[in-house]
Amino acid sequence: MSGAPTDRVCELLAQSLVAWRVAGTIERASDGVLLIGGNAKDIRIERAPHAMFRWTVTVDGRKRGAISLVAVLRQVREALDPGYAAVRVRIAAAALVPS
Amino acid sequence: MSADTIPVSVLTGFLGSGKTTMLRHLLGQPEFSRTAVIINEFGEVGIDHELIEASEDSFIELQTGCLCCKIRTDLAQTLQQLLRRRDEGRCVPFDRIVIETSGLADPAPILQTLMTDASIAGRLVLGGVVTTVDAVNGAATLAREGISQKQVAVADRIVLTKLDLTGPAEPALLRRLEQLNAGAPALIADHGRIDPALVFNSGLYDPRTKSTDVTAWLAEEAHGHAHARHDADIQVYAIMRREPIPAVALTLFLEALAEHCGNDMLRLKGIVNILESPDRPAVIHGVQHVFHAPAWLDRWPSGDRSSRIVVITRRVPQRWVEVLLAAIVEEVTDVPAGR
Repeated sequence: MSGAPTDRVCELLAQSLVAWRVAGTIERASDGVLLIGGNAKDIRIERAPHAMFRWTVTVDGRKRGAISLVAVLRQVREALDPGYAAVRVRIAAAALVPS
Repeated sequence: MSADTIPVSVLTGFLGSGKTTMLRHLLGQPEFSRTAVIINEFGEVGIDHELIEASEDSFIELQTGCLCCKIRTDLAQTLQQLLRRRDEGRCVPFDRIVIETSGLADPAPILQTLMTDASIAGRLVLGGVVTTVDAVNGAATLAREGISQKQVAVADRIVLTKLDLTGPAEPALLRRLEQLNAGAPALIADHGRIDPALVFNSGLYDPRTKSTDVTAWLAEEAHGHAHARHDADIQVYAIMRREPIPAVALTLFLEALAEHCGNDMLRLKGIVNILESPDRPAVIHGVQHVFHAPAWLDRWPSGDRSSRIVVITRRVPQRWVEVLLAAIVEEVTDVPAGR
């Protein structure tokens, strides 16, 4: 994946606000970066410049890397939804493919 | 799935909806002669078990509280105890277990226990969820009681009771059931009498053939085009995808669902075409924030190799689930970071 976040990612973030029932706006800046506003926070989503992370999420000037879209969603929600407490995820351990 | 796998069916339904009457009838049928029963009553004094005629040694009453909120551990221990008795020849060698929940029980945590408890995994499999609905009070109860809605929403079969008092079911009640769970056939019990074959052979695992029947399990929601049946709170819809899904993308997708809307994810079940396993589809099953380890079928049940995931939710938009899956697949299949 290269360049700016795709339209799909933009739609995912917009739909996420709906799903989480939090107020917010999403727009794309001229350089392709996604800008999210809500809960008095300014959030930027862009591709990470180096290999360790895919994404950089900047909340009110504080930059953090995100290894996947799932991590991006977590960071965005933490910023926008003060009442959010992540459900402890329990995925039963198993091989990803049949043995 | 082993030939010795024992299906566990959950019989639920709101207070007074006829669960015990139906179970009493079923246990009198030859098909149910090798059934162990666990009854959970809410309150200090249990009486339901007095109404059930079952073999003493294959019958257990849980009186310590409501299964859903207090004694999940007790349920797992009780199931272990039953299996031990069976293994040691100290009870009828049952080939089916029925759990009758209290009328106030949220069935989801019970399903979670059945799917995830390591001590019983491998021996037991969820055999289906049957929910009784009282035709007299059902519509009012569904309007008033969130738990009642949830009991209907997670059902594989809905059984209408007390029609002898009302005549044909009210169209409003049928519409409400359709809104809450269009995929579950609505059956009728006459004074508790119902064809046993119609009731509990409704899960992924079919005890008659000792095999998996994904098509029936996914029910009509999984077929044809994805569609939503709207209710104010609860929605049922199917997510379809023709292209195979990388295994890691499926894991990320399920984690994101659980993390962001676990409490509102009443039930999820599906058959998935995994990129790395084109000939052996994965069967997935989740309740709230708990997902069962995928079961791998030996082959596709039909020529349709598309992934079909049926989602029963409370206010989780279908579009979000669709885009979430598509975006994660796009990310996983694209050039890795560090391009």
